[in-house]
Amino acid sequence: MNYMPGTASLIEDIDKKHLVLLRDGRTLIGFLRSIDQFANLVLHQTVERIHVGRKYGDIPRGIFVVRGENVVLLGEIDLEKESDTPLQQVSIEEILEEQRVEQQARLEAERLKTQALKDRGLSIPRADTLDEY
Amino acid sequence: MDLLGDHEENLAERLSKMVIENELEDPAIMRAVQTRPVLQPQPGSLNSSIWDGSEVLRRIRGPLLAQEMPAVSVLEYALPQRPPQGPEDDRDLSERALPRRSTSPIIGSPPVRAVPIGTPPKQVAVPSFNQQILCPKPVHVRPPMPPRYPAAYGERMSPNQLCSVPNSSLLGHPFPPSVPPVLSPLQRAQLLGGAQLQPGRMSPSQFARVPGFVGSPLAAMNPKLLQGRVGQMLPPAPGFRAFFSAPPPATPPPQQHPPGPGPHLQNLRSQAPMFRPDTTHLHPQHRRLLHQRQQQNRNQHRNLNGAGDRGSHRSSHQDHLRKDPYANLMLQREKDWVSKIQMMQLQSTDPYLDDFYYQNYFEKLEKLSAAEEMQGDGPKKERTKLITPQVAKLEHTYKPVQFEGSLGKLTVSSVNNPRKMIDAVVTSRSEDDETKEKQVRDKRRKTLVIIEKTYSLLLDVEDYERRYLLSLEEERPALMDERKHKICSMYENLRGKLPGQERPSDDHFVQIMCIRKGKRLVARILPFLSTEQAADILMTTARNLPFLIKKDAQDEVLPCLLSPFSLLLYHLPSVTVTSLLQQLMNLPQSAAAPAPFNPHLTAVLQNKFGLSLLLLLLSRGEDLQSSDPATESTQNNQWMEVMFMATRELLRIPQAALAKPISIPTNLVSLFSRYVDRQKLNLLETKLQLVQGIR
Repeated sequence: MNYMPGTASLIEDIDKKHLVLLRDGRTLIGFLRSIDQFANLVLHQTVERIHVGRKYGDIPRGIFVVRGENVVLLGEIDLEKESDTPLQQVSIEEILEEQRVEQQARLEAERLKTQALKDRGLSIPRADTLDEY
Repeated sequence: MDLLGDHEENLAERLSKMVIENELEDPAIMRAVQTRPVLQPQPGSLNSSIWDGSEVLRRIRGPLLAQEMPAVSVLEYALPQRPPQGPEDDRDLSERALPRRSTSPIIGSPPVRAVPIGTPPKQVAVPSFNQQILCPKPVHVRPPMPPRYPAAYGERMSPNQLCSVPNSSLLGHPFPPSVPPVLSPLQRAQLLGGAQLQPGRMSPSQFARVPGFVGSPLAAMNPKLLQGRVGQMLPPAPGFRAFFSAPPPATPPPQQHPPGPGPHLQNLRSQAPMFRPDTTHLHPQHRRLLHQRQQQNRNQHRNLNGAGDRGSHRSSHQDHLRKDPYANLMLQREKDWVSKIQMMQLQSTDPYLDDFYYQNYFEKLEKLSAAEEMQGDGPKKERTKLITPQVAKLEHTYKPVQFEGSLGKLTVSSVNNPRKMIDAVVTSRSEDDETKEKQVRDKRRKTLVIIEKTYSLLLDVEDYERRYLLSLEEERPALMDERKHKICSMYENLRGKLPGQERPSDDHFVQIMCIRKGKRLVARILPFLSTEQAADILMTTARNLPFLIKKDAQDEVLPCLLSPFSLLLYHLPSVTVTSLLQQLMNLPQSAAAPAPFNPHLTAVLQNKFGLSLLLLLLSRGEDLQSSDPATESTQNNQWMEVMFMATRELLRIPQAALAKPISIPTNLVSLFSRYVDRQKLNLLETKLQLVQGIR
């Protein structure tokens, strides 16, 4: 049944596997079971996927109820093409470790940069505290 | 007389009825699980069956999670007078008379649900196959029967849907006609017109929620299930009994199993929302389209069945849905509800106002496809279009809530009835207080306001054409009047009406033209103005062009005026053209400025718009001159003067300083050739790149 052609409606996406990107940067993959008018989502058999470089790790999370305003985008996953990825799956521990390492590297780079700027008498005002990720 | 022996079972029964030893039987208990074998009376172990309550409970935990658990039977929520299971399990429970529920079978009142809407999906553990119980919690499933479910059905249907399923048992139930089915005869007729289910087939009407199962064994089980004893299915709740009854056990023919419940699923799924009362909000055409599409789907599936095409993508998708036990957690009804809300948001009394770009875009698309169609006789691509419900605008007068018998009214502030929070008073400033800067600022703001007002008028005027087409005959003159009136007020806004002055000053207009939006506004208004009015505007522009050019240096929006101006030029007589040129060149020149030096014209020439305008004027003048040989001498003189000035300036100005005009009229060469000699002509040609080859 073709619901509302020409509009963006989630009804046709129900019971299909989706990838959802949240505002806090998390990536969730799960079956979309239910929606409402605010695009609040109910995801089933959800897995949180952490990407670091070319590797990724999945953390099974169960059932997620996501408030609609926190969704950046979502898209259907083609089950046949799902395994077609050049990315390499690793264990959870490994990916968390990788993430931690990446985070540290980034902080270090940031620190060096601010240090260099300070040495030259410049300073970049930190807008981080105002940003929401 | 072995009465005691014979009646041991009965005694057990009666005793068990008397004493609610088994907590599970207590009607006050909301939820409980029983394992079946415990209750089956074993001969000789009479005591154990009655008094073994604790043992029963002890055994529950284990088997629930294990695989070999037999059928689970569970009590319903808070149903009074539910007779205990006892040894009558083998008997067909459908023969038992269950209490009638006081519900009206009228459409509109919600049909009875024994299980409230929000309950999680039911799952039934069936003994003979390898199933996993997906949630350890006890579930609400009726019968202790051996599996009779269309297990892979996966479809959970709300009572509404069940009502609408064709060939459901309710249509031919054995109950007396005093208990009418929920459907009206009309609806039933409509539904019967739909796909026919095979008779004797287990219809889903028997379940409020059909449980879904996991695993591949189900596929194997399907035929068996479907061929199973249909009649021994129990309706899920006593309440349903009024409407759906299990038909007497009819053994269906063995080869009944159709090519998969998939298409059947699809049928039902697509049929279920048909003509349900809550689709009335949809536009009738929408509903018709839905119906059409459903029929298409059905036909497709039937074809699919006939062809036995299992390899198609569609059926594999159906396979997925079939095997997914969590599918359709969101009921059709709920989906419709969400889409109803979304459709409501699209309701509009004036779609051209609310959804201007959407409407225009689709109009364009349609025109395109219509044009394509005209060209070739190819198959028309059916593009499904969203039909939004058109709702008449209702006058909502807000009435505050009133309770009877109460003194005074509630003071509730809502979106319809906002409460005044701040007492904002407008204070006007006196002229003396203001400084010069403030005055300038105010003036600019006033100009901006005028521009905005004129813009709204313009949008209305532009819209009149469409309204004219939509309106009735009687209304049209009124519309025309309105339009005229608006155009007049636009012009007044532009020029600034100052009563008592013969010629309004240019100042107002110039102010408007200094603002980017003002220029665009003028460009859009020009086609609507009369020739004189438009000529006046053009004249004023030409007169103040250097100033405007200076102000336009950043925006560079003046060229947008060129096209309406050029259109206008075609309507102007030569007198006007000449005077325009004079204005452009600021003739007659003041005595102060030396003859060969014309700053006005210089500025004009250095600007793209100015130069293009000049060239256009010259070209137009040339056309008029050549076409109309009998001209007055004064006019001729003026024209000569203009030409001399133009050529002199053009020759004088270095090429680098010259702007690049937007378009170069073709007749300039002939024009110049009449007034200048060969040498200068060549020079002019190179400068202005009048000859095509040079460029």
